[in-house]
Amino acid sequence: MKRVLLLALYVLAICSCAGKSNDKSGIELHDETDLAGLRVATQSGTCYELDLSSRNDIELQTYNTESDVLQALINGKADVIVNDEVIYNAVTRRDNGVKIAMLGEKTFPTGFLFRRDDRYLAQAMDAVQQRMVADGTMQGLKEFWLTDAFAEAGEYVHIPEESTGTPLRVATSTMSAPISFQVNGEWYGLEIDIIRELGKALNRPLEIKAYEMASGILAVKTGQADIMCGCVFITPERKQEFLFSEPYHYYRPAYFVIDEEANFDHDGSLFAWLKNSIRRNLILEGRWKYIVDGLLKTIKITLLSILFGSLLGACIYQMSRSRRRWMRSFAHFYNSFIDGIPDLVLLLIMFYIVFADSGISSDTVAIVSFSMFFAASACGIYRSSLAAVPPGQMQAGLALGFTRVQSFMHIVLPQALRHGLPLFKAQCITLLKGTAIVGYIAIQDLTRAGDMIRSRTFDALIPLLVVTVLYFLLAWLLGLLLNLASSKIKVL
Amino acid sequence: MITISHLTKSFTDPDGSVLQVLKDVNCVINPGEVITVIGPSGSGKSTLLKALNLLDPPTGGSIIFDGEDILAKGYPVHKMRQRVGMVFQDFNLFGHMTVLENVIYAPCKIKKMDIAQAREMGLTLLRKVGLMEKADAYPSSLSGGQKQRVAIARCLAMEPEVILFDEPTSSLDPTMVGEVLSVIRHLAKDGMTMLIVTHEMKFARDVSTRIFYMQDGVIYEDGTPEQIFETPRRSATKAFVQRIRKAVFEVGSHDFDFLNMESHIRQFCIKYNIAEKSDNALVLCKKVVRNIMSDYFPMTIRITHSELSEVTALDFMVENLDKSPLEGADPARVEEIRSLCHKIIEEPTSRGFRVKLLI
Repeated sequence: MKRVLLLALYVLAICSCAGKSNDKSGIELHDETDLAGLRVATQSGTCYELDLSSRNDIELQTYNTESDVLQALINGKADVIVNDEVIYNAVTRRDNGVKIAMLGEKTFPTGFLFRRDDRYLAQAMDAVQQRMVADGTMQGLKEFWLTDAFAEAGEYVHIPEESTGTPLRVATSTMSAPISFQVNGEWYGLEIDIIRELGKALNRPLEIKAYEMASGILAVKTGQADIMCGCVFITPERKQEFLFSEPYHYYRPAYFVIDEEANFDHDGSLFAWLKNSIRRNLILEGRWKYIVDGLLKTIKITLLSILFGSLLGACIYQMSRSRRRWMRSFAHFYNSFIDGIPDLVLLLIMFYIVFADSGISSDTVAIVSFSMFFAASACGIYRSSLAAVPPGQMQAGLALGFTRVQSFMHIVLPQALRHGLPLFKAQCITLLKGTAIVGYIAIQDLTRAGDMIRSRTFDALIPLLVVTVLYFLLAWLLGLLLNLASSKIKVL
Repeated sequence: MITISHLTKSFTDPDGSVLQVLKDVNCVINPGEVITVIGPSGSGKSTLLKALNLLDPPTGGSIIFDGEDILAKGYPVHKMRQRVGMVFQDFNLFGHMTVLENVIYAPCKIKKMDIAQAREMGLTLLRKVGLMEKADAYPSSLSGGQKQRVAIARCLAMEPEVILFDEPTSSLDPTMVGEVLSVIRHLAKDGMTMLIVTHEMKFARDVSTRIFYMQDGVIYEDGTPEQIFETPRRSATKAFVQRIRKAVFEVGSHDFDFLNMESHIRQFCIKYNIAEKSDNALVLCKKVVRNIMSDYFPMTIRITHSELSEVTALDFMVENLDKSPLEGADPARVEEIRSLCHKIIEEPTSRGFRVKLLI
């Protein structure tokens, strides 16, 4: 039955994707006034968003990543998308059947963002940029990265790390070429190369993590990162709160539309298209490694959170039954507090406030947050399943001559487990699915792995499908494991 | 075997009020005795039982079991409980185990008995209580009486020296009481030492060697079944064993609310199934108060009814009086009353004089 369902889902997804079309055909753009009445999609946190938000004659859509923006155009949710001229390069445009309709009139300054009191690092960056401009390295980098030539080349120079100092923590909001992107676990791109020069000058190795734009900026503010890159536009508003290095480039927006003449079906067959898609999304550049790493990360966070959450939950449950009033109040407060806030908000609070600047890894922060979450549910499960065992059972055990501990372990617990295990199982699976939000604090879990592949290939179907199937299998396995555990409970 | 002295137990409510359930319990339980504990609800019978094996530890006094003070600090309570079995009102069978597992679980886990040997013993015990066939059934599929018999077998499996029965038939259908009592009777015949809290008076009378009548947190009367049921020394015991119900009215003067009393007497008669006597009782009341004893206020009027002997009586009591009020009354009216009831008893009491009309 499960197989049939899966197959149905698969076929449905392929059909919906293969039949991608856009009814608004033949959009002609000459200048920005032509945008009137169109659905325009752009990336949040960019200058283009800011620029277009003042226009009320267009329907503006904002998405978090470049790939989401492109997907909006391909799927017909938007008529036009606007982004950096360079971001969807020749290869990407050809593979996805989009083209540049026109270039924007204005250009926007782009630089690196630093904490306001980190004047030293900002000035060091300025010095590095000045040197690079003077000796021509900047020009060389731009000529390589900002033309379509690099994309056609498909090969990048890997510069090995030699620095030994404290790591320079880099937050990047872009996982797309040519700004900053990953291949086989290594970071490449124009901005990455510039920051590498800074690292070399300061003798500090780079520690790069991918954030969404808003979370990344917050990470710099709260001290989780030292420098933010990924096409960060220099706006007056940001300048009030942060320091910027001198702009290294002025980006020009480009307006992309569906290319009517592009031949989608390549060689026509669905199977060939699928094969190519799988190759691009999973095989090329070892992209399946993201999935494997993400999968392991998701498993690690889930299992450890279940373990610690169960233990913490037992403590909270004990407190809730304590004779001391303050302990009961604490347990009550804890449970209602955790029940009352979304898990994402708790995660962000833990990351940006509680553990800000504490040097604790984001994996640990995630495990702590999810353990806290799980503890509240576990506490409720303990309470309801122990309450389901009549108090007479304990008494009968004691009356037969068992000690309190024996009576609990041999008589009460097995019966409580029968009530509690199905609830526990459901909660574990909820937790597993809940961990999909750890991408917000720059952890590359299974969901994030799919996102990273999407931001390189600009293809939604295969990464999402693989991620979906893996989550489904994980949930199924987890359930199986717990069922196995419960079937091991024997009386004598 | 067990000596209990000055045992007290009180519960403290969250609001600070203290409820003293056991006030001062003293008794000695000897091997081979079958003691039933009777008494009105709330008199502390079950509390006494649970205090005895420390499921509900007492707040004061001492319990000496086999020469050792079990209330002493560090006394291995579970060891004592292995020798003092208990059968509960709601059976408390382990729902996740079969009947046989219920019986042999404790011997296997506590006495480390070999499983094959334990099975054999368990089956023997189940045969003894007539449930051999149900050995592999789960408790949920048994009737109440069957469950209680399994609970008894489970208790016997630990080979206890004493068994405490806490109202073993109170949560059973009347039809199932007999099967459980018969198992207990067999145990009594085998010489098992038992302490049984019960409301089954006939059973208590038949099976016991001794009876404790408990009231207000003390053992109010302690004696043989004959003594307790036939010649109780104390009036409360008598009232209980004869199941005497009563309603009392303090009449201060002629202005007393007689209508209210009337309706209370009617309710009393309906409640105890003697509605046919209510008219007669009311007529008698009226005649005695108005015609014969109209000069004897204040007086106390009491209606009592024994559910055992089915005798109903109207008492008219006057304090500080040493001769019968009937003596000076109009003989015709006294004769009229005599014709309305079975018997008139005139007797002095510790505080005054009582006229009792049996109706």
